Amino acid sequence: MTGQAFFVLTALAEGPRHGYGIVGEVDELSQGRVRLKIGSLYGVLDRLVADGLIEPDREEAHDGRLRRYYRLTRDGRGALAQEAELRAATARVVRTRLGLAGAEAAG
Amino acid sequence: MTGGMSGDLERRYRRVLRLLPGYYREQWEEDMVAAFLDTWLTGDPQADAYISQAAGPGLAEIASVVSLAGRLYLGGAGTPRRYFAWGQAVRRAVLALLLLHAMQALNVLVLTTWSRQLLGLQALTVSPLGGSSAGTWTTVLYVASFAWIAIFVTLALGHYRPAWVLAALASIIDLVALVQAQLAGRVLTPYGSWAAWVLLSLAPVLAMAAFHRDAPPTAGRPWLLALPLGYLVVFGPMLALEAAGHFWLPDIPGLCCILVALACLVRAPGAWSGRAAGSGVWSLALILLAADAAAYRIVSLIDRHDPHLFQVSMVELFVLVAAAAVVAPDAARAQAPAPAPPPHPQPG
Repeated sequence: MTGQAFFVLTALAEGPRHGYGIVGEVDELSQGRVRLKIGSLYGVLDRLVADGLIEPDREEAHDGRLRRYYRLTRDGRGALAQEAELRAATARVVRTRLGLAGAEAAG
Repeated sequence: MTGGMSGDLERRYRRVLRLLPGYYREQWEEDMVAAFLDTWLTGDPQADAYISQAAGPGLAEIASVVSLAGRLYLGGAGTPRRYFAWGQAVRRAVLALLLLHAMQALNVLVLTTWSRQLLGLQALTVSPLGGSSAGTWTTVLYVASFAWIAIFVTLALGHYRPAWVLAALASIIDLVALVQAQLAGRVLTPYGSWAAWVLLSLAPVLAMAAFHRDAPPTAGRPWLLALPLGYLVVFGPMLALEAAGHFWLPDIPGLCCILVALACLVRAPGAWSGRAAGSGVWSLALILLAADAAAYRIVSLIDRHDPHLFQVSMVELFVLVAAAAVVAPDAARAQAPAPAPPPHPQPG
């Protein structure tokens, strides 16, 4: 799973969001490190829809435009949990190898 | 929806979105436009009117759409058949061009080793440790030429990103060498040399964009086998003829034309066997390679004033065009309209 897809799925973990909402949430989650352009966002969204990890939730009118909301599917939730576990395990290994885990426990 | 406060801004963004294939725009355009406008508009009519007049999609935004368009037109799994066929054809054409590079590099390697063994010469005229800048540069050029073997193998094994980085580096080194030689007045055939760089080096590097995340895995083994076999079949006879002396050998543009023409003829029975629509990906790849080889042949003639070479080149071009025409109908079938893509999933 790419970094962008991971952040998009994480942005949808709390509930459905529309395109711009996802961009803002990813920006916040990544502390400004991942700033999705719209072309990149929809490149990720269309893959996730095709893979069955997200699906359209509803459409809402806003200032004369229709905002389409997306939500995680059951598969998407599972894939996100699996990826989060993998990343956490990797992070634990890195911290151990850098000697940070022991230092933290001591501190 | 182009009215209201967002009119001009929306129009500018929709113009950019025209880069995307129609089927994709049908599914995603309204959504993309709404998200794009959300990133700009504030809800304050005065501010929005100004923004709509003054703002537009920035370079990064346009680049993201261009990148998406590239991935969709050179499609991978899940894209309509026509775009998938183009994607596969470009991927195969790139592998074929890299195979040629790798065979040429192998040839240099063989000749260098051979000359060292037979004549007791050093492969490189200077020691890599020797230190003169010319010597170091020569070493870099040797390494860059041999790198094409690694690039081809890396790509055939499915390591797309490293292959692209290596190919870009090798191509840049080739460019620097060409510019340097041209500035020093050592390029006897500038058109041919530039055509070689653009069509054989730069073009495959750019076309390697087709090896994206959605591209199906490359069947590595046949391509890897093609390197030693291709070398033996193509360069083996050429070396033998060269050693025998007094025999006409094609130059590199001519060799490209002959190889592509032969590949078209080998493909011909399959192309005419009347298989299902959309099966002619190999034929489409060969048409792309034929266009590349023909362009190289034609441009390389501009600075060669040899009537005999001109006549031979015309024959090569004629044979190439005739052979390409044999597989052209099959290549067209590869782009046959596909069944409509599945409708955009509706909110549920």
